[in-house]
Amino acid sequence: MLLNYVALENNNQKEQELVSKAKQGDRETLSQLVSIYSRRIYHFGLKLTGNEQDAEDILQDTFLTMLKKINQFQGRSSFYTWLYRIAINIGLRKIQSKKMNYQLDSINDPDIEKIHSEHIHKWPKFDSKNISSKRFRKKLDEALEQLPEIYRTVFILRDLHELSTDETSKILQITPPNTKIRLMRARNFLKNKLEDLVKEENLI
Amino acid sequence: MSYNKKMFHEVCKFLGTNLDSKPCKMLQIHLNKCHDCEIFVDKIKKTVEIYKKADKCDSLPENVSKRLYAFLNLKNQDKSFKRN
Repeated sequence: MLLNYVALENNNQKEQELVSKAKQGDRETLSQLVSIYSRRIYHFGLKLTGNEQDAEDILQDTFLTMLKKINQFQGRSSFYTWLYRIAINIGLRKIQSKKMNYQLDSINDPDIEKIHSEHIHKWPKFDSKNISSKRFRKKLDEALEQLPEIYRTVFILRDLHELSTDETSKILQITPPNTKIRLMRARNFLKNKLEDLVKEENLI
Repeated sequence: MSYNKKMFHEVCKFLGTNLDSKPCKMLQIHLNKCHDCEIFVDKIKKTVEIYKKADKCDSLPENVSKRLYAFLNLKNQDKSFKRN
């Protein structure tokens, strides 16, 4: 039987058993938890920082913290919520230490006047060959990196990791309405970036 | 150009939630009448779809995995752990 993130997500009892054994210092169980969650934590770090080395640092520090603090996990949230929160705190510290500058003026709500003056053409159905090209993916990542982290974290968790609004809110410790607003702004920002990219690439 | 500002506010409000949710579907009635808003929502949907399609959440690179387990001093395991 394969035990992976999805299987565990749907099996609270199994998760509790694993965490309980891990708390007792069972090295094999700790190793299983690393195995189950490492891919997602690495992917999260990669999307958050846009940098493989930073993603690896986040990955290692997250699981090191897990090993040190698993006894403090009290089960008030799911284990992966707790783990994501550790990863996010580590990731945000890393970003802040680099003092990245963002185009804050671009993160706004959609402008109704603009919509009615600029959005004339529909986008085509995109060819998956275009989307999966290395160059196109790099440009998508660059756009994502331009999003301030408070919006980027929500977009990664909600749209790429497909977590619910409630789960995302718990992980980020913000209210569900705040999660929704941040997601709407993130999506709108990325749409505007994609608008430029579509023109650049002659996709319409 | 005719459009309903209040309705658009509702569109924005719900764009932060699942685009296939019931409230979003209700807004479809408005969107069917308002071409500009329809295009706007379509672009937001396509943006999310494109990011999802382009996103490769593959397995952890082997060298990263090796270094992780070595760093933690734990036994290396496959990404999908096999149980008996």
